[in-house]
Amino acid sequence: MAPAAPARVVLTTGFSQRYTGGVKEFSIEAANLRGILKAMDARFPGLGEILEEETSIAIDGEIHELLYSQVIRPGCEVFFIPRIEGG
Amino acid sequence: MSKHHVSTTVNGDAVEFLCETRQTLLDVLRDELGMTGTKEGCGTGDCGACSVTIDGRLVCACLVLGVEARGCAVCTIEGMAEGDHLHVLQRKFLEHAALQCGICTPGFLVAARSLLERNPDPSEEEVRYWLAGNLCRCTGYQKIIEAVLDAAREMRGA
Amino acid sequence: MLTRTNNADKELKVVGTRPVRPDGEAKVTGQARYGADYSAPGMLWAKILRSPHAHARIRAIDASAALALPGVKAVLTGADFKEQPFEYVGPERVAVNYWHMTRNVMAREKVLYEGHAVAAVAAISPATAEAALQLIKVDYEVLPHVIDVDAAMRPDAPLLFDDMITRGIEPAPAKPSNISKRVEFRLGDVEAGFAAADAVVEMSFKTAPVHQGYIEPHSCLARIGADGQGELWSASQGHFVVRAYTAKLLGMEIGDLLVHPAEIGGGFGGKTVVYVEPVAAALSKKTGHPVKIMMSREDVFKATGPTSGASMTVKIGVTRDGKIVAGQGLFKFQAGAFPGSPVMNACMCAFAPYDIANVNTIGYDVVSNRPKSAAYRAPGSPISAFAVESVLDILATRIGMDPLQLRLKNAARAGTPTAYGPRHAHDGYAETIQALQLHPAYKAPLGKNQGRGVASGFWFNGGGESAANVHVNEDGGVVIATGSMDIGGSRASMAMMAAETLGVPYDKVRSIVADTGSVGYNHVTGGSRVTFATGMAVVDACNKVIDDLRGRAALIWDVDVAGVVWEDGHAQPASAAVGDFKPLSLAAIAAKRGVTGGPIVAEAAVNAGGMAPGFATQFCDVEVDPETGAVKILRFVAAQDVGRAIHPSYVEGQIQGGVVQGIGWALNEEYIYNQAGRLSNAGFLDYRIPVASDLPNIDVVMVEVPNPNHPFGVKGAGEVNIVPVMAAIANAIQQATGRRLTELPMSPPKVLAAIDAGA
Repeated sequence: MAPAAPARVVLTTGFSQRYTGGVKEFSIEAANLRGILKAMDARFPGLGEILEEETSIAIDGEIHELLYSQVIRPGCEVFFIPRIEGG
Repeated sequence: MSKHHVSTTVNGDAVEFLCETRQTLLDVLRDELGMTGTKEGCGTGDCGACSVTIDGRLVCACLVLGVEARGCAVCTIEGMAEGDHLHVLQRKFLEHAALQCGICTPGFLVAARSLLERNPDPSEEEVRYWLAGNLCRCTGYQKIIEAVLDAAREMRGA
Repeated sequence: MLTRTNNADKELKVVGTRPVRPDGEAKVTGQARYGADYSAPGMLWAKILRSPHAHARIRAIDASAALALPGVKAVLTGADFKEQPFEYVGPERVAVNYWHMTRNVMAREKVLYEGHAVAAVAAISPATAEAALQLIKVDYEVLPHVIDVDAAMRPDAPLLFDDMITRGIEPAPAKPSNISKRVEFRLGDVEAGFAAADAVVEMSFKTAPVHQGYIEPHSCLARIGADGQGELWSASQGHFVVRAYTAKLLGMEIGDLLVHPAEIGGGFGGKTVVYVEPVAAALSKKTGHPVKIMMSREDVFKATGPTSGASMTVKIGVTRDGKIVAGQGLFKFQAGAFPGSPVMNACMCAFAPYDIANVNTIGYDVVSNRPKSAAYRAPGSPISAFAVESVLDILATRIGMDPLQLRLKNAARAGTPTAYGPRHAHDGYAETIQALQLHPAYKAPLGKNQGRGVASGFWFNGGGESAANVHVNEDGGVVIATGSMDIGGSRASMAMMAAETLGVPYDKVRSIVADTGSVGYNHVTGGSRVTFATGMAVVDACNKVIDDLRGRAALIWDVDVAGVVWEDGHAQPASAAVGDFKPLSLAAIAAKRGVTGGPIVAEAAVNAGGMAPGFATQFCDVEVDPETGAVKILRFVAAQDVGRAIHPSYVEGQIQGGVVQGIGWALNEEYIYNQAGRLSNAGFLDYRIPVASDLPNIDVVMVEVPNPNHPFGVKGAGEVNIVPVMAAIANAIQQATGRRLTELPMSPPKVLAAIDAGA
C-alpha cells in the first residue's frame, strides 16, 4: 500500500527557537496526533510532553485541544500554537 | 461595650435585634437577621446593591446605622413578592432577561418599585436617571430599563 | 469527542426561544446564595492586613498583641504557607508559577503593591478581627517604586525581583530588569510591505489599567477539619480551578477539598484566580472552625487583578486602493506585581481580522508595583485593537475610503493566514461588516459636534474540558448537572440544548451546577467556552441517555434495538415492520426502569476542539461638548457573529454588557495613583463605571454563521464584543472634533485639552 501523504507539522518561531534549534517545519506520517507527538519526541526527547502541556493545535486552521485520538488526515497542516485562555 | 436592643418592622413583621453602634443596617440585615437578599457591593453607598426602603424612602442600607431602624418600617427584597406571587417587576425582570449574574438585581428591584410608587408612568429617561444610583456591570442596563417600562405599563393596566 | 451534528433541516423547537432561566426565581427574590451569603455553625470572621506601601521589604511582623486580643483565634502570615517551587507550569500563554501565586496570596520577603496581603486574622466577630489588624506591627523598609510600564522598563527602574532575567530573548540578558518576557510573531516581510505602501501611518498609544468592576467582592467560606479534609463555598468562575489552586497552596490532596459553587456576582475573568480561598482554608485548618472572608470594595480595587495598562506603537501601510500591505505593532503591557499580562494575546489578535501578507508583532510583559493583572474579557485583545483600529481609521481617511469598506476589502475569511501561524478556519467577519453596511443608521446624517466611528475586533474563544451528567427522574423529568458556574444564564442554555436533544419540553429539564464531588472536571466559565464546550458535553450525555432509552424500549417491546428510533421525546418503532407499538415517553420508560436495568443516567466528558473565533464590528455616534470635553454616546450599533444564539436574550445581553464595559474603559475608567504609589480612587465613586443615565440603547445585530463543529452551531459570544469599543469611540471623537486621542481614558479633561491644543 502506498504511504499516505505526510502531515506538515509547524511550530511558532518562539517555540522553535526554544526547543528545536530554530527548525519550524517537519514532515511526519501519522494516523493520529499520538503518532505526531511520538515522532516529535523521538527527534527531540522531552518535546512530546512540552507540546502536551503548552500548546493547542490548529489542523488546517481548525483549533483543537490536544487529543491522542485526534485523526490526522494525510497531507494536512498541524500547527502547534500557544494555548488560549480567556476571561 | 454593650449592644443596643432595637425593635423595628421588617417587611411588615415585628423584629428585634441586638447590634453594636458601628453596625450598619446592611450588617444587621445580613449578619444578625440572616436576610442575605440585600447585597454588599461597596459598603460606601456608591453601588446601590444594598437598596432598601425605610418608611417608604429609598436608601442604601450601608449608609444607615442599625440603631436608626428603631421604630421604622424597613422593606427589603425578601418582602417584595406576595406569598407565591411575584411582584410584576420581578416577573418582568425574568421575562426580559434583565439579569445575568443577578447580584445587583435585588437593589434594582427595590429601587424600581420605589420609582413606580412615585411615578407610575415614567419616561425612559426618567427611569435611567432614577436608577443611576444602581450599578450593574453585566447587562449594560438596557434589559433592566425595558423590564421596568414594561412593568409600569402592566401596573397601569395599559 | 463530538458524536453527531444535528440535522440542519430539522426545525428547532427550543433552541432559539427565550424561556425564563431556571435560577431566575431565586435571584429576583433575594434567595440565591452568593459567596458572602453562606454561614456555618461556630463560624469565625477573617480580615486581611494589607500593605500601605507600593514597594517595601518586610523586616519583621509582630502579631503578639493581636493574638492576645480576646476573641482572636489565629493570625497567619506568609510564613504559614508552604513554599512552592519556582517554575512556570502549563501553557506559556497562561503559565502559572506557584512561587508567585503563594506570594500574591500572602506576601513573604517583600510587599510589591499597596494592598498586598501581609497577614490575616480570624476572630469571633468582624469588629474583633478589624481591631486585631490594627494591633499587628509590621516593620517595613520602604523601597522606591515604579508603576508606569515605560518607566518600569527603563534601565534605572527600581527592580521588583533582583533575579528577573527576561525570557524570550536570545542570548539572555546579563542584567536583571522588570521585563519578564518578550514574545514575537512574524509573517512575511514587513519592511518590504511598507516599501510597497502608498500610505503609512505610525502612531503611539497609551492605556490605563482598568478593573473588571464586578459588583460582588471576592468572598468565601472555608471549613477544613483536623484530618486535612474540608469544604469551601466560593464565588468564582471555576470551582475546579479554585480547588486545584487552594489544594496546591495548602499542600492538600485535590480530592480532600470539596468546593461548592456559590452563585457569582460577576467575574469577567477576574474570578478565575484565588485570593481569599487559600487564606480562609488555612485559617480554618489552624482554628478548627469554619472561616468566612469577604473583601471590601477598597480591597478589591487595591489588591485584585485589573487588566494591564499598556504603551504601544502601531504602524500600518496600505495601497491607495485600500489593500493593507503591512502591519507592525510593539506592545508593552504591565503585568502588575507578578508576571502574566495578556500581551501574547494582544500580539496574536491585533491584526487577526485582516488578510495581511506581512505582519510583525512584538510584546513585552513587564512587572510593576501594582496588583497582579488578571484576565478581563478577551484579555489583551481590546488593548491592541484600540491602537490598530485607530490607525486603520486614519488610513481610511487618508485614502478617502469608507472605514467599513476598508475592513471588508481586507477581511479575513476561512483560509486567510494569521500572524501566529495557522490559517483561519471560519468565516463570519465579513458578515458582521456587511450587516452594518446595511444598517439604516449607518448613513443617518449627523449634526454639529457629532461624529461616527467604526472598529472591528477578534477573539479566539475557548474549548477545553467539560463534563455533564444527565439523570432521568422516576417520573420522566430530567436533571442535567454540569460543573460550569453560571455567570450569565448558562443554566438556561444547557437546559435548552438538552430539551432539544431529548425532544422534551424545556420545563421538563432542570439544570444545576454541581459541586466538585458530583461531576467531572469542568474548566473555568470564561473564554466564551461554556455554551460551546459544556454544551457539547450536555448534548453528548443526552445522546448517551437516548441510546440507553432505546435499549430499554427494545427490551420492553422485545425487539432488536436497531428497530427503535428516538423522535420527539419518544421511543418509536423504526418502521411498521418492527411491530405495532405505541410510542414510549421518558415517563413510560422511567416507570419500567427497574426491570430494564435500574436508574437511567449518563455522563459525558469532552476536551472540546473545533471552536470558532469571535468577530465583532461596531459603529457609534458621539456628540462632544466643546466647552467641557464631555462625550455623549448618541447611538451604538454592535454586530457580532454568534454562530447560533441558543437563548437570544442572553446572547444580546452579553453583547450589550461588553459594549458598556468598553464605553467605561474608553471614557472614564482608570487607576489614579499618587506620588507614593497609593491608589487615590479605590471605590465606585471615583472609579467611575457607566451608569444607566450615561447610555443610550445598545443596538445589537446578531449574525449567525453556524459553527459546523458544534451540534447547534454555537460560537462563543461573551467576549469579543468589548474588543472594538474604545477604538470605535476614539474614531467617532475624531470625526466630531478633528482631534485624534491616543490615550485612554478619553475623559473630559483630556478631550478638552486636545480640542484646545489644535489650531
